[in-house]
Amino acid sequence: MITQMRVKGLIFDPYNNAYIVVLRDEENSDMLPIWVGKSEASAIGLALENVTAPRPMTHDLMKSFLETFDAKIISVVITDLNENTYFATIHLMYEDSEYTVDSRPSDAIALALRTSAPIFASEKVIKKQSSEELEQWLENLKPEDFGKLDT
Amino acid sequence: MDSAKQQNEPSELVALTVKQVLDDGNTDTRIVVLKNDDASVTLPIWVGSAEGNAIRLAMERVVTPRPMSHDLIRSFADHLGVRIERVVITDVKGSTYYASVAFASKGVHRTLDARPSDAIALALRADCPIYATQDVLNRRTAVHLDAWINKIDTKNIEPQQA
Repeated sequence: MITQMRVKGLIFDPYNNAYIVVLRDEENSDMLPIWVGKSEASAIGLALENVTAPRPMTHDLMKSFLETFDAKIISVVITDLNENTYFATIHLMYEDSEYTVDSRPSDAIALALRTSAPIFASEKVIKKQSSEELEQWLENLKPEDFGKLDT
Repeated sequence: MDSAKQQNEPSELVALTVKQVLDDGNTDTRIVVLKNDDASVTLPIWVGSAEGNAIRLAMERVVTPRPMSHDLIRSFADHLGVRIERVVITDVKGSTYYASVAFASKGVHRTLDARPSDAIALALRADCPIYATQDVLNRRTAVHLDAWINKIDTKNIEPQQA
């Protein structure tokens, strides 16, 4: 079972000095937070804001590479989470064959946003992630951290 | 025999290798130091810290638990049967360098515009040659940088390895 997700936003996590990509399903009933590094967050942020950088960023190069060779991204799927390591797959159509390429979720999402490809998450990863890490993270959050989120 | 060599390696291109990635102590940037075969020509290119780290990982042949962005490009190329042929530092405007990545698939050749940091990170992962045009080398951000880099080199050995 997979659920289609949308990128709702990027939040700074002052605890881990990292960013959280927040994915939600259509009904806003499931939420999937994914922790990513600063440069990964900026690759996603630029796409979210529709900012075109003066020079092609890494995922722009990826996109133009795939376009040049007529490979189309059908979808990306966040497949698993295992001890803070996230797994995703990118599904490509090339010359009438489908290819599945292993990737980090941050690359998969940055690319999906640039190619308007749908993002899915497996049921397994939604259950694991929302129950485990987010609650823990929220519990550890002190009131003063909320101020930092705005900046 | 010279003509055969020239076909493969156009005379206006100079083959370079990545010698090191230095930390610029004053800013959160990295300096990718490229040199030609006899080390008579140095081309320093300033890149962001994430870009510099991507190049370092490839230089040190570090296998990360999950594929990094340039590993993913390499993986796309492998899946599609596309070969990464070479990368060229093609131009410099002010302090911005331009590069291209040449791909080949079933006799079809395509060249894509890229930042030098992406081009170099990709070249190291694909084991393909890196070139700069003679024109870029002539106009590179001044020769006095060589001296400056040599100074950094000895002074900042520890931060480099950290």
